Amino acid sequence: MKSMIRQGIQPVASHHNGEGKSRKSWSLLEKLLLGLSPRQYLEQAIKNPFNWILGVLFAVGLPLIAYRFLFGLSVVTHSSNDYPWGLFLGFGLFAMVPLSASGFMLGTTVEIFGRHDFEPIERLALLNGLLGYLFAVIYLLVDLGQPWRLPYPMVVAFGPAAVLFLVAWHVATYLSVQVAEVSVAFFEWIGWLGGKRFVRRIAVGLTVAGIILSTLHQGALGALFTYAPGKVHPLWYSASFQWIHFFCSAIPGGLCMVIAVSTIVKKTMAWRCDGNFLDNLDRCTFGLAKGASMGLITYLAIKLIGVAHDNEWGYLGTGWGAWFMLELAIGVILPLALFAWAIHNQRVGVVRLAAFITVFGVVLNRINTALIAFNWKLYPEIPHPFEVIICLTIFAIYVVVYRFILYRLPILFAWKAVPVEAYETEPVTVQSAPALKSSVPAPGAVYRSID
Amino acid sequence: MKPTLSLHILGMALIVLLCAASGVAAAPTGGPGQVKLDRLANLFTAVNFDHAAHVEIAGDCVTCHHHTTGDGAGGGRCGRCHAQSQKSTVVACRDCHDVDPFSAVQLERKADDRYQYHIDKPGLKAAYHWNCMGCHEDSGGPTGCEDCHARTTAGDEFYQSGSFAPKAAASASHH
Amino acid sequence: MSGISRRRFLAGSIAGCAATTLCGTQKALAAGSFTGYPEGMGVLVDLTRCIGCRSCEAACNKEQKLPAPAKPFDDMSVFDERFHGGTQMRRPDENAYTVVNRYQPEGGGKPIYRKVQCNHCNEPACLTSCFVNAYTKTQEGAVVYNPKICVGCRNCMIACPFNIPGYSYSSAFNPVVKKCIFCHETRLKTGRPPACVEICPQQALTFGKRKDMIKIAHQRILNEPGRYVDHLYGEKELGGTGWMYLSSVAFDQVGFDTTTGNEPIIANVKDFLGTVPMVLAIWPALFTGFHLLAKRKDGHGHDDDHAGDHSAAHGEEEDKS
Repeated sequence: MKSMIRQGIQPVASHHNGEGKSRKSWSLLEKLLLGLSPRQYLEQAIKNPFNWILGVLFAVGLPLIAYRFLFGLSVVTHSSNDYPWGLFLGFGLFAMVPLSASGFMLGTTVEIFGRHDFEPIERLALLNGLLGYLFAVIYLLVDLGQPWRLPYPMVVAFGPAAVLFLVAWHVATYLSVQVAEVSVAFFEWIGWLGGKRFVRRIAVGLTVAGIILSTLHQGALGALFTYAPGKVHPLWYSASFQWIHFFCSAIPGGLCMVIAVSTIVKKTMAWRCDGNFLDNLDRCTFGLAKGASMGLITYLAIKLIGVAHDNEWGYLGTGWGAWFMLELAIGVILPLALFAWAIHNQRVGVVRLAAFITVFGVVLNRINTALIAFNWKLYPEIPHPFEVIICLTIFAIYVVVYRFILYRLPILFAWKAVPVEAYETEPVTVQSAPALKSSVPAPGAVYRSID
Repeated sequence: MKPTLSLHILGMALIVLLCAASGVAAAPTGGPGQVKLDRLANLFTAVNFDHAAHVEIAGDCVTCHHHTTGDGAGGGRCGRCHAQSQKSTVVACRDCHDVDPFSAVQLERKADDRYQYHIDKPGLKAAYHWNCMGCHEDSGGPTGCEDCHARTTAGDEFYQSGSFAPKAAASASHH
Repeated sequence: MSGISRRRFLAGSIAGCAATTLCGTQKALAAGSFTGYPEGMGVLVDLTRCIGCRSCEAACNKEQKLPAPAKPFDDMSVFDERFHGGTQMRRPDENAYTVVNRYQPEGGGKPIYRKVQCNHCNEPACLTSCFVNAYTKTQEGAVVYNPKICVGCRNCMIACPFNIPGYSYSSAFNPVVKKCIFCHETRLKTGRPPACVEICPQQALTFGKRKDMIKIAHQRILNEPGRYVDHLYGEKELGGTGWMYLSSVAFDQVGFDTTTGNEPIIANVKDFLGTVPMVLAIWPALFTGFHLLAKRKDGHGHDDDHAGDHSAAHGEEEDKS
């Protein structure tokens, strides 16, 4: 893509091709192809070495997924009667969901607390949330014995005392909320202002609903393990605090995932980002890092309170204790120290490194709880190689979908120009209302007058 | 069948009846010589129990028959009530120990039983096995299933053994 | 505009709270202490009586029409089988709802056999963890399972403190949970004992009302204090189980988890379930309040119509330039 841009091709960022009188509307196909000809599009796709890696992974992984659905879980997983949950849930569900907490975090920051200085990164955070949840559900579908029955807890039979019932309902409703939140970008892209206006109008409601649902199901995923007090190692288990541990670690997890994604985006698709995004990214990164640090230090404190509350100090001297402390040292204390130093010294590179480490730390915690420290009294289980490949394949699909959307919808860039109907119905009057900060774009006059 | 003379006519008559009912041959000691234990025969054949030989080994009746033969129950728990018990009208195991101890009818009867010491009375199958195997283990008698009763075809099918044994390629179980 | 949206939003949150309250009440009822149906049946397993003949396994296989076993039921070599690096004995699975394992007690003596099957908890973890209510604790005391609505999340297997439910992983299109159902359909419903109890030659399994089984068990301990450890496993463990055990040796020597405590599994989850209605009730007002506070301070009338609009404004400026 970069070379295409060098050749003078501009990726689609508005409804219209060209300027002034020569402008004509992009067709949907043209929008999908980013304004390139099909040949050009294919050319840039083939040139990208990352696509080749994906191609190889898909060539192996997609048949394996088909194999799983045709011949059952036993041919691709080591899921057993003792280890009912493997990597699909241990990683796919329990790790993807906290890394997707970014949606509600940034939604709250911008919409509820009115921190409009985070707006440049808000849409990325919302999208990150949506896709993370979507793929957590996809991982779940691969793992469920009878995935076609997924709607059953909604329509056929209810188990309201079950934590999973809450998770199912909350994830389903929250997915809808997130679709609505991200739909703003989609409506801009297809050029349907009515839809966008409606969603903007209910934005606060959606955001508050998002906070509630997120609090509950982030916590609920932790609470799922309170069903297995004798199976999860006491250091990873806390009847009273498990849900708070999961909820609290989701905060740095989600924020750091946004830093991580934005870092990758900046490195690999800077052409797609507009000045507003690129210019504000470092500032926003520091802001997110501060939030993540607060989350991490709180998390560290409540983890220790968890140990103290159940008087589990004795376990720290065992091998499990060493592993537990290593998880905290690498996943929590190290990034915390890096964040502190980097924020103080304004070193955004180190902040980004710390964010990647935090993401790793959260994933490690979830895999520890769901797999490694699970059944600590029985025997260890190592996932089937096919299980690992399928996990990677689904993650690759996630990356592809993520990239597909970032390339097209106005997430990293602002959609240019005012839609035609708005031009015709309302005279455009750019208000001189000053923005909160110079870096924040002025509110659009068009929508103001329509509202 | 050669019932020996006895003063207890009534008891005699009963024994005769019992013998007639299930092929019991009387022994000179006052009990039957051979007893065919066939109430539970199904998966295993009936047991041809040599009562007379076991009387010789046990030396008395109370070892197996509790207090029902009139010898008293000795000391211990049973003796608290049954030390002076007279010979009861029935002495065969099956007369007290039920074939179906857990049927709804039996459970209801047990629930109404005021003699709480007997709420845990074993069924006939357990009574046989405990009585026989308890001694056999201590005295080195046979304890294998087919030492006393051969397995029937139905038994082979039930245990999926013998000619009913699973094929080598039987599905391995998941663990 | 923002006024309308806020009013709409408040109406929405009130409806949400109402729904939550109802939902919460249901949960509270479901989560309350439940010590089993008073007339529920139980089985007393007396390990001192079991001779390891595996007849119960055979009876279960026949009654539940399970697949043929790998080895005949009179093959005692299964007691030597070990799995997962020699650490694990046999466990119930999709092909066997009950298994007998052999233990050699510390300090020698005769081996002790332990029958494993679903213990039919008073307050079953599988039931309380199931999000489609596929499990039912019947009045007769059995914990039964409805394969027609099971989604296959296997949370019940995570939750079961006895590691009982098995899953037919090898089935691609209709995998289901498989576990002992106390012969509920074929026997228990009509007052008959389960097949394993009926076949047991030693009456190691005693069947009756659970409350009577408790009485009998304590009477056995009382009558023969030298024969039994003074504990009835399952009387109180995890809220009580329908199947209970007597043993001559400490229970942890014969494969029992003696660290379960007496609270049912759901008691661990109640802390979280209790916070659910609180979050649902408090968060809307709290965060809407934050929003209003943040907006006031803002003072630019710069509230609801900002993000996303940046596009238009941006574009506008660029178009003009």
